[in-house]
Amino acid sequence: MLVAQSTLLTLPDYVVIGIYLIATIALGVAIGRRMQTGTDFFLGGRRLPWWAIGMSLVATDIGGTDIIGVGGAAYSHGLAVANFEWIGCVPAMLVGAFVFIPFFYRTGVYTIPEFLERRYNAGVRTVMALCWLLFMACNLGIMLLASAKMMAAVFGWNEVACILVTALLVGGYTYIGGLAAVVYTDMIQCGVMIAGCLLILVLGLVQVGGVGELRSRLAAAEADDAGEADQVDEAAPREPPGDAVKPEAAGPTGRGGVAVSREAVDASESRAHRASLILPADTDSPFPWPGIYFGLALILSPAYWIGNQAIVQRSLGARSEFEARASYVWGALLKNVIPFIVAVPGLIAVALLPDLPDGDAAIPNLVGVLLPAGLRGLFVAAFLAALMSSIDSYLNSAATIVSNDLYKRFVNRDVSDTRLLAVGRLTTITLVAWAIGFAFFLTALNERAGIYAIFQTLMAFFQGPAFAILLIGILWRRATGNAALIALLCGIATSIALYALNQPAVYRALGWAPLFKIQEPFLYFSIWAFLVSAVVLVGLSLVSRPIHPAQLRYVVGGRMDAEDSGKARCKVGAVPEEEQPGDAGTGKAGLAAPGSVRQTGQGEDSA
Amino acid sequence: MTPLHRWGELLRETLQAIPLGAVRALFVTTLVFLLIWILDENLKTGAVLAVAIQIVIYLVL
Repeated sequence: MLVAQSTLLTLPDYVVIGIYLIATIALGVAIGRRMQTGTDFFLGGRRLPWWAIGMSLVATDIGGTDIIGVGGAAYSHGLAVANFEWIGCVPAMLVGAFVFIPFFYRTGVYTIPEFLERRYNAGVRTVMALCWLLFMACNLGIMLLASAKMMAAVFGWNEVACILVTALLVGGYTYIGGLAAVVYTDMIQCGVMIAGCLLILVLGLVQVGGVGELRSRLAAAEADDAGEADQVDEAAPREPPGDAVKPEAAGPTGRGGVAVSREAVDASESRAHRASLILPADTDSPFPWPGIYFGLALILSPAYWIGNQAIVQRSLGARSEFEARASYVWGALLKNVIPFIVAVPGLIAVALLPDLPDGDAAIPNLVGVLLPAGLRGLFVAAFLAALMSSIDSYLNSAATIVSNDLYKRFVNRDVSDTRLLAVGRLTTITLVAWAIGFAFFLTALNERAGIYAIFQTLMAFFQGPAFAILLIGILWRRATGNAALIALLCGIATSIALYALNQPAVYRALGWAPLFKIQEPFLYFSIWAFLVSAVVLVGLSLVSRPIHPAQLRYVVGGRMDAEDSGKARCKVGAVPEEEQPGDAGTGKAGLAAPGSVRQTGQGEDSA
Repeated sequence: MTPLHRWGELLRETLQAIPLGAVRALFVTTLVFLLIWILDENLKTGAVLAVAIQIVIYLVL
């Protein structure tokens, strides 16, 4: 339960929040005046600089709930949550920068599903476009609702007003300015976010007495927790091994007896590794090292940074292939800083406020303790910046998928670029209305259950399989379209089956024990879904007919057409200078190159 | 216990038997391989710096 602190915000705070909102919207509207074509709207006219894209990548990745939720998770489970920003981002971003992003950029596509059609077939494109659209559209409503709930709890604001105002403000500047407005406002939002969170980190460390004092207080807290765990563990009768680690296995009637004792042990054991990034395989927290290494670092992280339309789209709007690479490297550098300013404050809260009832109360309470009037407004602006920078990106990317992968493909193949701009804007308005409606729908459902958390889990199921077909398609020339489609569906089915078999009602009905023994084993779901998709794709491809040689241009190591990339072969990471779009003398000629690639590719594919 | 559960139990026991020191070495070795693969207008500068920071973080924390 969060502590309502509406009284903490004073007039100077609201002035700071107002200045931030007005500056953001003014910038978005100013950029919108230059909007003339679909390329302007969806790819910023391919004029976006690397430094703005890099900051936009970071801002998009950190949602509104993350600003408070990551610190809360650090308070509850320790520093292991920082893995999601470190090994869960930096390696994938660097591999993306030097292998995948140049590859996507060179093909001149607008969306990942469009690339998959070039590599596989139209069926794969349509299924992936629908999957991404469903994911993004539902996520828009979930982000609005989750953030509104947090704003209502922390700042005492009206939940319905929060949903409406956020959606209309973000929808407004995204409608007017497209991707360029999204990227440039994200850049400001990234700066505000870093400033707001850095303030808490610095003032918190001063209050604690420095890094050394923080470490010794955490060590003392860990010793207390370890002792508490031992005491409770001895007091609690031993349970049968199958159910011992699942508190809910005791059932509703079991609460108050053994189950409560076990939860106390779990919480204490989880906190006993607060200052460590690497947790044992048998930890009860959601971050055991096998899940972090195999599920996050090797699968979910590359799936996000290489295969997520909302992320990749902004680098496709870069001024040149080199700047597209540079944006990812800059983003990776910034990512090194993020856990220090969003996770470490959670550890500071352990030292200053050790007896909070809930991790999510840590950061709001810390703000109340540390920040004077006016500076609290800066933190609220940081929260709003994180929220708006994620919503605007998903909004623009969903509109891009609807316009390019669905409207242009099924409604009007010969649509002009100007007409596509109107379609993109109309789609943006429709998606804003949908997101508001979906948020209210979830609010109604949520009276009975935490249904939106289940929605979010279900929607994450296709990311592992989607990454499998993208990765193998780019690296292996034998992968075929029909095999990719079947592999994608098998992977999604695997995720759903594992999720179902891990639900107490299902495994009890079958007389089974739970398959996974940690809380929220989503990292493990992604590993198995990825592996099933990969095995099915490779197996079926080997027994089916090889694909047409023209499609091998979209495989790393495959020969690319003269229009695509000059006459040389493309090796991993190596791009001969004469291949680069920006190398054609002037910047203007360089910008034209991807467009010509695009037309060539389309002509051949449709032939 | 289904065969799936038995197999899962075996996998779980195997992973739990790996000491955390070896796990830390696995994380750092992965990052070192990334650094070798990668090796102010040169993107190598930023990329090497980003991975070097990661290596220090995973050695210390």
